[in-house]
Amino acid sequence: MRLLRFTGFTLLEYLRSGRIVIEIVALLAVFFIFLRRPMNAQYFFSVLGVFTPALTLYTMAAFIGLGDRPQGYVLLARGVGRGTFLLGLFFGACTIVAGAYGLLSLATAGLNRPVDLGFGDWLLGTLPLLLNISLLAALLLMLSPLVFPTGWRLVVLGLIALAFSSNFIGGTLLVALPDAVRSVLRALQALLGGPLVPAFYGFQLAVTRDYSTPTAIANILAQASLLVSLLGLSIYAFARRDLIFSNQ
Amino acid sequence: MSDVIEIEELFKAYGSLPVLQGLSLRVRAGEVYGLLGPNGAGKSTLIHLMMGFLRPNQGRLRLFGSTRLERMRARIGYIPERQRYHTRYNAREYLRFLGQFSGLTGAALHERVERELIAVGLRDAAERSLGTYSKGMLQRLGVAQALLCDPDLLLIDEPTSGLDPAGQREVIELLASVRERGHTVFLCTHYLQEVEVLCDRVGVLAGGRIAAEAHTRELREVASSVRISVSPLGAEVQAQIAALGPGVRCEERSVRLSPNSAALQAAVLQALLDARVAIIALEPLESPLERLYREAVHETLPSPGEAHGLPAALWDLPLPGEQSPPTPADGRRGEGDTLLNELLGRNDRDQDPGERTPGA
Repeated sequence: MRLLRFTGFTLLEYLRSGRIVIEIVALLAVFFIFLRRPMNAQYFFSVLGVFTPALTLYTMAAFIGLGDRPQGYVLLARGVGRGTFLLGLFFGACTIVAGAYGLLSLATAGLNRPVDLGFGDWLLGTLPLLLNISLLAALLLMLSPLVFPTGWRLVVLGLIALAFSSNFIGGTLLVALPDAVRSVLRALQALLGGPLVPAFYGFQLAVTRDYSTPTAIANILAQASLLVSLLGLSIYAFARRDLIFSNQ
Repeated sequence: MSDVIEIEELFKAYGSLPVLQGLSLRVRAGEVYGLLGPNGAGKSTLIHLMMGFLRPNQGRLRLFGSTRLERMRARIGYIPERQRYHTRYNAREYLRFLGQFSGLTGAALHERVERELIAVGLRDAAERSLGTYSKGMLQRLGVAQALLCDPDLLLIDEPTSGLDPAGQREVIELLASVRERGHTVFLCTHYLQEVEVLCDRVGVLAGGRIAAEAHTRELREVASSVRISVSPLGAEVQAQIAALGPGVRCEERSVRLSPNSAALQAAVLQALLDARVAIIALEPLESPLERLYREAVHETLPSPGEAHGLPAALWDLPLPGEQSPPTPADGRRGEGDTLLNELLGRNDRDQDPGERTPGA
């Protein structure tokens, strides 16, 4: 109940701060530029599969900014626990992005419905897409100054960079490296790239909505597990650190 | 009476910068304890440790007999140093949210919110956005939110910091009324006046520890030196008054007692009344609390003179109001010395190395 109240408190403050105008403008822009033309379901989910993560970047950053202020001491001095505080920010941002997605879907359904997209199909595409939004929001929260101190944030960013590096260190550079280094690098890339697979496959699943194989269900479960892990890790780290808000 | 706050050998450092170094402290139920200390001494750090925002490196901290501080928050009211609240809300809805976070609902929530708005004098401004509030109003809101759930313990961090004199007086009066409610209060400040007016006991935090502690009622008894401002004194009366003791110094319009005592003060006042001299004012030149604070801080901190590469002797100059010992060079120190010393004293307060400590 407190989580719900705190999320409401954060959302209301966000709305009153006027930052929501950015989301509204972006929403209108995407609708009028990309979603007014004749389209099919694949195109619709491709557009929203790119737009919603971009919106998540902005919205989650804004919510982290709202949370990382000395005002937080007054809230944490009351019954709002550290876990509730962090989850309230997370759910606040996700509500805004999911709301934007919902509005775009409604507008599209009402004004320019894709020929091959029924409600059931929309639900099947929405599930992995919303999980991806949540995953990105959770990752951004974990990388915020609230959760990890600077040193640890750099370590996590380094690991993410390494996970993505297979695209950049795949050709001549990899060949030029000594065998031992190359083996270690490949192993690390495979290991660290693992958690990225559900997110990428989730995007593909939203576009294709092909749930005929067990892999699709497994991927949904993997996305959900990864989300719970990221949030759990963030709450654990936040609960154990000295709380010194930025801009004191 | 049981101890509400028990702190034993508490250590806290920010990285390699030590802030608290073996601090021990006890506050009994119903007591109003004032913690004095220069900027950066670690007063806010101590409050944040009590609130569970920070974790100690070493030592034991118990509130209401428990080391699980976060579970004790329901019994604590906290007034932060800076008046930073969520300015997108008005006072009434903000207090309602905070009450809900503390588990209040329905009629009880409504009644408490209205009660506190009235108590702090914000009822008429309750519908105004907090962004339009003055610092004094925000500090009153701070008091209201802290008292919303009838806490057993109030932790107050620099309540008058950044307020103008009128705002300071307003907040002190408000806190004095809070005192009447019988809460245990732990007040951090660097204003001696607040402690004198509000507290039962005072501790001076310097060098990361409690460097001095005293009951304020003992400190209030008699000032160590006083000045009595009077109507012009004739030479005969001056001589008569000066003969009352070695610490009596008469000038045309004032009598200075240093060192002072209750008996000496009474004798001088009686003599002045007998001589039909009008007494305009009696003011302490340095209160015992001021002396306690100065000596505790002076003993534990490096002199600002040393910190600025000045000769240590400069630090030993008397504070304003303190009688200057004669020097071999010119027989007495001039006003410039006192001014220099005042500036050095101010340096101590303003440029303490710990001032930049986060959260301190």
